[in-house]
Amino acid sequence: MTALLRAEDLTVRFRLAKQSLFGPPVHLEAVRAVSFTLEKGRALGIVGESGSGKTTTAMAAIRLTEAAGGKVLFEGEDLLALDDEAMRARRRDIQLIFQDPYSSLNPRARVADIVREPMDLMEIGTPAERDARVRELFGLVGLRADQLGLFPHQFSGGQRQRISIARALSTNPKLLVCDEPVSALDVAIQAQILNLLARLKEELGLSYLFISHDLGVVRHVCDDVAVMYLGKIVEHGPRDAIFDAPQHPYSQALLAAAPSLKRRKSEGYVRPMKLSGDPPSPIRPPKGCAFADRCPKAQELCRDMPPEPHEEGALRVACHFPG
Amino acid sequence: MTALLDINDLRVTFNTRYGEVTALDSVSLNVNAGETLGVVGESGCGKSITALATMGLIPSPPGRIAGGSIKLAGEELTGASDARLRALRGADIAMIFQEPMTSLNPVFTVGDQIAEAIMLHQKVSAAQAFKDAIALLDRVGIPSPAERARDYPHQLSGGMRQRVMIAMAVSCRPKVLIADEPTTALDVTVQAQIFDLLNEIQREFGAAIILITHDMGAISEMADRVAVMYAGRVIEQARADDVLDAPQHPYARGLIDCIPALGKGETELREIPGVVPPLHLLGAGCAFADRCAHKFARCESEKPLLADHGHHPAACHAVEEGRI
Repeated sequence: MTALLRAEDLTVRFRLAKQSLFGPPVHLEAVRAVSFTLEKGRALGIVGESGSGKTTTAMAAIRLTEAAGGKVLFEGEDLLALDDEAMRARRRDIQLIFQDPYSSLNPRARVADIVREPMDLMEIGTPAERDARVRELFGLVGLRADQLGLFPHQFSGGQRQRISIARALSTNPKLLVCDEPVSALDVAIQAQILNLLARLKEELGLSYLFISHDLGVVRHVCDDVAVMYLGKIVEHGPRDAIFDAPQHPYSQALLAAAPSLKRRKSEGYVRPMKLSGDPPSPIRPPKGCAFADRCPKAQELCRDMPPEPHEEGALRVACHFPG
Repeated sequence: MTALLDINDLRVTFNTRYGEVTALDSVSLNVNAGETLGVVGESGCGKSITALATMGLIPSPPGRIAGGSIKLAGEELTGASDARLRALRGADIAMIFQEPMTSLNPVFTVGDQIAEAIMLHQKVSAAQAFKDAIALLDRVGIPSPAERARDYPHQLSGGMRQRVMIAMAVSCRPKVLIADEPTTALDVTVQAQIFDLLNEIQREFGAAIILITHDMGAISEMADRVAVMYAGRVIEQARADDVLDAPQHPYARGLIDCIPALGKGETELREIPGVVPPLHLLGAGCAFADRCAHKFARCESEKPLLADHGHHPAACHAVEEGRI
C-alpha cells in the first residue's frame, strides 16, 4: 500500500491572550506530536470528544491551520515545506466538506456557480468544459440538471450537503477532508449521504480524512480509525480491530457511551464503563497520561509518565496498561 | 386507570402564508409516573410542537390548539388560564431544551437562575433558594457546586450547561419532565452521562419522562414505550422492544435500518429516500406515501389511521392488508 498522506509529529500551538501586559506569552498545544498515515483509496476516521483536536489536526495536515512543527507528506512531498505558489497548485488535490451545509454555501450564488467556482479559481479546463463538468457532477451526487439555476435556500439540508460534495469533487481531488459531514443532518438523510460518500470513494478511488464524533458513522465509512484525546492519538489501527477489541481504556469508554439498539432499557442495561467529568485543560496538560484522571485503570506510573505509543496486535496504543 | 399525562386527539394548527396548516393531527399519547415515553421522528414531524403544546407554549397567534385535550393528573390544560399554566410550568411539568446555551440567560449566574425557578414556586428566602440550587447542582453531578453556582453559563462546558438545565427542571420535583433532544449538541460521552442522570432522577423522583429524539439508539437505551411521529401524526406506538424488534410501519422500520450500527460495517445503509413533505402540501393520502416502497393505490387516496393490525398499533394500509 502507498501512503497518500502521512503526518509525522504534527504539532499545532495557539497563542492565548497574555495574563498581563508584560507577561510571557501563553501557548496552548492543541495538537501534540500526532503521527498517522492515510493510505490511497482508504478512509481514515478521526474520533474523539469536542476539544480533542480532531479538526485542528486535519486542518493542520492540509495547511489551513499553521503547524508549529512536524511534517505532512502528501504523495511523499512535505506540504509544510512548500511555498505559497506550490501549495496553491497542490490544493486541487485536496478538498473539504464542512459540517454545516447551511453556512458553507454562499446564499447569494446560484448552486451551479458554487460548484463551478473552484474550477474558475484554479483555471481548470475551458469555460465550456467547466459547465459540462458541473452538469456531470450534479448527476454524480444525485441532483437534477434542472436544479442548476437555483439558490442554496431552495434545497434541503441533505441536498445542500450534496452540493458541497459536488463542489469538493469539481477539481478532481485525491483527498477529501470530511469534517463531521452528516452530524447536522436528520438520521434518514444521514444514511443517504453516507451511502453517497461510500459510492464515490469506490467509483473515483478517493481517500477520506473523516472527522466524526459518531462511532457508528465512522465504523460504516472508515477503513482505519484514530482515537484522539487532548491533542494526542491514543489508539490507531484498522477499523474492526478497534471496534471489536479496543485496547485503550478511552476507546473502550467511547464505545460504551455510544447508543446502540442492542442496549435495552427493558433488560435493565447498565453501562459497563462510565466516563465522569471533562477532559483536562489543554493549557496545562497533565504531566503523565492525559486520560489518567478519568481512567479506571490509572496507577501512579500513569500520572508520572506519559505513555509512548506501541504496537498491540494490529493496533498502536498509547497506554501503560492496555487491554 | 388514567395516565398521569393523557394527550387525546390533539390538533394544533398554524396560520401561515399558505393558509391554515395542521401541525398536529389527532395525536394521542400518554405517560405514567416512573415511565419514559420516547417520541421519535425526523425534524418537522411534530415532536417539539407536541412538547410545546403540552407546556402551553404554542406561540399564539399564529398557532392554536384546535381540538383535543391534554390532561395532567386529570386536570385539563388546553383551556387553562395563563396564570394556572404559569403555576404548573416548572412545578408540575418541566422541560429541558435542546440548546442549553440559548435557553440559559447569559447575564445571570446559573445559581441565581435555578434559585429563581425555586422561588417562583416555593415560599423560600433567596438565601435558602440559592442553597437549594447548590444542592441541586451537586445532585446532577457538577463538581464544586458552590463555586459553579456563581459561574455564568458561558463559563461552563456544554455538558455542564445541560446539567444546569436538568437541575433547574427538577428543582420543584415535577411530575412530568419533557426532554426535547437533550443531548443533540453534546459528545457521546456526555450524552451517556446525561442519559444515566435522567434515569437516576426518574428512579429517585418517580417522574414521568417524555424523551424527544430522532435517534433510535437513544430510544433503545432510555424508553419504556415509543411513539413514532411523521408529518404531525403518530404513526406507530407500542412498547419500545416491540417497535425496535418488529417495526410495523415502513417509516419506523426505515428509522431503525438507516442507523449505521456499531456492530456492522461495509453493508450499504438502507436509506429512506426523499424528505419530510412540507405540511401545507399534504394531500388526502398517507403523508409517507411518496417515500414508501410499499405504496399502493389506497395510500394516495385515504389517510391510514392508527390501529392494531395484529402486532401493535400502526397507521399503514400496507400493514393492515398484510402486504408487509
